[in-house]
Amino acid sequence: MAQQHGIIVLFDVENALRTRSLDGNTYWFDNMKFLGSAGVGTENLVTIVPGTYFLDGSQATEQVLNWLPAALGSIPPTVPRNYLAEQERADDRRTLEELAALSGESGVSTTDLKRLQRRIGKHARKPGGGRGLTEAKLLDVTGKTTSSAGAYNYPAPVITDITGPAVTEKIIYPAQYGSPDMIYDGWYWAATVDTSRPGVYPYTVHVQLHELVERNDELIWESVDLACESSLKIISDPKRNGFTGAGLGVLPLPPVPAAG
Amino acid sequence: MPPKNRQSERRPTRPVTITAVVDPVAALASENLDDNLYLYDTNRAAGSTGFGTPALHSRVRKGDTLLWNVIPLECETYVALTDIEIDPRIAEPTRKVYPGTDIAFWTAEVKQDLTEPVPYRLSFLLGTVSTPFTPTARPALAGPAAEGKEGR
Repeated sequence: MAQQHGIIVLFDVENALRTRSLDGNTYWFDNMKFLGSAGVGTENLVTIVPGTYFLDGSQATEQVLNWLPAALGSIPPTVPRNYLAEQERADDRRTLEELAALSGESGVSTTDLKRLQRRIGKHARKPGGGRGLTEAKLLDVTGKTTSSAGAYNYPAPVITDITGPAVTEKIIYPAQYGSPDMIYDGWYWAATVDTSRPGVYPYTVHVQLHELVERNDELIWESVDLACESSLKIISDPKRNGFTGAGLGVLPLPPVPAAG
Repeated sequence: MPPKNRQSERRPTRPVTITAVVDPVAALASENLDDNLYLYDTNRAAGSTGFGTPALHSRVRKGDTLLWNVIPLECETYVALTDIEIDPRIAEPTRKVYPGTDIAFWTAEVKQDLTEPVPYRLSFLLGTVSTPFTPTARPALAGPAAEGKEGR
């Protein structure tokens, strides 16, 4: 199977929530610039899908694409996704230990209590009956407890669907898959590409962002559904060896390792 | 609008985050980081410019907390921000890690309002190469009045 291509979408969540639009608030990447992807790092990415034929003209394998969303200004996706849950638990444990240590003979000072209250932080809930994030403690962008609605770490955007001409014309077959890879929370969107029809095919990614709102003295994750667009460019260039630039064959390795 | 003072306590806010998106495989293959480094910050509404280039100009004010972090395009290749060189009268970045991990970020406080852009230098370690990569283009910190009102 051909190598899978990752398409990373970086969302300026703060601006997107403020303007209620993803226009100008997404930055798209794939690591296929050397093969001809255009607009890498901008909101106008055209992802190249080359290598669809063998040199003899016969059809090569299909391409697989993965979409990986990330929030700008948040804890980066290299930090495992269960990091926030682990931090929350570790923080609660420390608070409990310190609370137990407070019950000394000299009584409990209000300063200590206030400090611990701050450490307990705030929990944000999901709206009643609605879809959204599970209840969790608010952490800031470095993983520390916060109770400030101006400091919390934006949750990673969640892709909810992929639609558009590329889908209706049956160029891509997108679906959400489960994965043991904790970096992306065990879920990711992927698609196989019909590489037999060269052309440029736009598609729309539907995402859910999460905004923290205060309602009835509670903090609630309100989901905000938005959409953004990109496109695929399928070309009929033959597959080639990435090392030699020529057709597929053996890798340019010496039969015997160099001496020394 | 000034922030609300609750119990005379300063409410914490998000830092201005400057994120370096790096394509480590392309940078290693071409030995050129400039074409494979994309800088962004969370202050576009305040007028930051140069998004998606290695010459990002971030609009900052005295007292702002800055945070630099890295997103690699290839999660199987090592990328780390190893150094930030900037005039220490403006900011003194320090390296920290996300608690419980070995993934680093850098943070600093802006010490003074800037009248003109202050360039700085970022260095990255990529893959297993022991010499840091430093882009030729320089990102900069800029004050609110430094570049007029253009560039929104």
